[in-house]
Amino acid sequence: MKKRILGLLAGASMLMPLSAFAAPVEITLWHMEQPPHRVARIQEIIDAFNTAHPDIVVKQEPQNWGEVYAKAPAALSAGAGPDMLFAIPDFTPILKNIGALTSVADFVAELDKKHDFVDSTVQSYSYDGGVWAVPLYNMAMSLWYRKSVLDGAGLKVPETWADWKAAAEKLSVDGTYGIGVPANKQLYTDQTIYSVMVNGGATEIYNEDGTLRFNNPQTVAALDYYAQLQKLSPPDSTSWTWGEAEACFVSKSCGMIMQFSVISSYDTQGGGDPADLGVAPIPHADGEKDHNTIAYANAVMLLSKDEAKRKASEEFIRYLLEPETYGKFLNMEPGLFMPVTADGAKAESFWGDPMATKYKAQIEQIIANSQNGRLFGFTSGRTFPSIAAISAQNVIAETLQSIVVGGKSAADAVAGGQDRMVEVSK
Amino acid sequence: MQKSRSLAFAFVAPALLVLAAILGWPLVSAVLLSLQDVRTIGSQGQWVGFTNYSTVISNPMFWTSVGMSIVWVVANAALQTVLALMAALTLNQNFPGVKIARTWIILTWIVPTVVVVIIWRWLFSTSGGMINPLMMQTGIVSRPVGFFSTPWTAMATLIFINSWRWFPFIALMMLAGLTRIPADLYEAARIDGANGWKRFTRITWPLLAPTLGVLTVVGTLLSFNVFDIIWLLTAGGPAGGTRTLPVMIYETAFKGYKLSEAATISVLATMLLMAFALVATRWLAKEGDSR
Repeated sequence: MKKRILGLLAGASMLMPLSAFAAPVEITLWHMEQPPHRVARIQEIIDAFNTAHPDIVVKQEPQNWGEVYAKAPAALSAGAGPDMLFAIPDFTPILKNIGALTSVADFVAELDKKHDFVDSTVQSYSYDGGVWAVPLYNMAMSLWYRKSVLDGAGLKVPETWADWKAAAEKLSVDGTYGIGVPANKQLYTDQTIYSVMVNGGATEIYNEDGTLRFNNPQTVAALDYYAQLQKLSPPDSTSWTWGEAEACFVSKSCGMIMQFSVISSYDTQGGGDPADLGVAPIPHADGEKDHNTIAYANAVMLLSKDEAKRKASEEFIRYLLEPETYGKFLNMEPGLFMPVTADGAKAESFWGDPMATKYKAQIEQIIANSQNGRLFGFTSGRTFPSIAAISAQNVIAETLQSIVVGGKSAADAVAGGQDRMVEVSK
Repeated sequence: MQKSRSLAFAFVAPALLVLAAILGWPLVSAVLLSLQDVRTIGSQGQWVGFTNYSTVISNPMFWTSVGMSIVWVVANAALQTVLALMAALTLNQNFPGVKIARTWIILTWIVPTVVVVIIWRWLFSTSGGMINPLMMQTGIVSRPVGFFSTPWTAMATLIFINSWRWFPFIALMMLAGLTRIPADLYEAARIDGANGWKRFTRITWPLLAPTLGVLTVVGTLLSFNVFDIIWLLTAGGPAGGTRTLPVMIYETAFKGYKLSEAATISVLATMLLMAFALVATRWLAKEGDSR
């Protein structure tokens, strides 16, 4: 009898798939969504995924945008890199150049068939015959203001640069700054300057042949105008990043700011009255007609060379883009992260979030603003590798600093900026 | 005798070898890297001889950074010495609570850099910070001051914050030096009618000088290499106004993707520091001999 039972057990164990005994595949996700509420939301999604997929264990390791450009190549070189890493378009050429990326064209095609990606978000990662990351969410810069503040000053929402400057001047009273624009040598400043540049006809920084065309009259006019706005901003805006601008707005020290979203901080620290929170497209130059802005299609790169880990990473991304999950992921920062898929844009999980419901009007406006989104270096359907160095060294912001801190004229600064772009591209 | 010396050497040799490897290998790696044209970590480079050295030396930004590093080191040394001396002299007195003060003075030094940065960034902020309203209410300024808005104010503010952080550590070193001065010297001077200033200039200062000399050398080397506070508060800005050599090395390596060029700057900076350390230690030894 004993022998029989043992025999049965042995037979049964042979029938069980080997995977039942295999350790789960562990994959690591690096992302740069550091605020605690975003980390918590990502963890919720990871926990749900891990529960539904016992053979895979995903863990997150939040990083910081300021360091990841240096840290990721070093970690990958040391064999300690992540299996998945969030990216913005100019980050991918760096990792591609050190051989860390393989094309995800087939995987993106599979996802596109199912979810229908917004074309421009895939284009930002499509160059040199491959697709180097999977788009995850879009971000677009907007102008934020308080309706009561504008109404109190008898102002309308600015449409043109002239309106905008006049409004900023009128709002600069009693220790309040009419506008808060950054002038730090940092990514946020690159973003706000480019948002002004694209509204003044200075969209392209490259010619078709890859040579630079940053030094042109439209760029000079845009930077000159931006420097005038900066004079109406707090004096420490030369050291601002995103957080300081948001703090200035929610504390009512700044009348207007340019930001991807202020909804979360406004809701918790700025009064939280949705009827008073205004969001508008970035004003355009007086001769222009359309409102444009900077838009970032954020994506995820698959870095693992191990087949099992790569497949597990793909499974996690499939899960993330499912409409039931996707809205929850996007709403880790309501109003900041816009969908990149057609079914995601309609997802109940996106619009059903209490914050999305409360600030629905603002979110719809951001989505509308993002329709005319551009990104420097990724505007013409061609991508030139030097954009990675230009972006990493914040040359656009550095050019502005040479005006507002160095006292140069806009024309000299822009000429110097182009020289610097050439230098860093070598 | 010869045998026991060889045996002693055999015992310490493994430790010396490990020490040499730990200290020497990074330096050798940096020198080797500086002779190549590696751009990013993990990529391969070609041997280019001394090309990077001529590129760096002919770059005006390098010399500006050297100048900024000198300003940074000298200003920090001066401010920290003054603050530390005042603190050490105070803590060398007997007053109620002196033991608590001696313990808690190191608080600024033990607080993590990131916390220091957050505190001071907030205090100096023009949107909700405390310092600007205080300065305006007391009539020192009529408009908020952007402490990090110009190269000069940013550098001065950084020096202040760094000195605030480090002076207690130096004060404790000085306090150790002060406690070694025999009390009967002060007693004798007092009987001879020497006032406080004379006791300081004739007893305290000369007997504290060796400690100050050592602290100057160590402090200079430490100050020169400070990167975290500068990077976190200004990232070398505005307009490169606080770009000291360590900041330039980081920018070149990890923002400019010119790893070999950054290694070259590191090697040159190391040579500068070694030259300083050599001159300073010789001078200290000479001073010690003359006493």
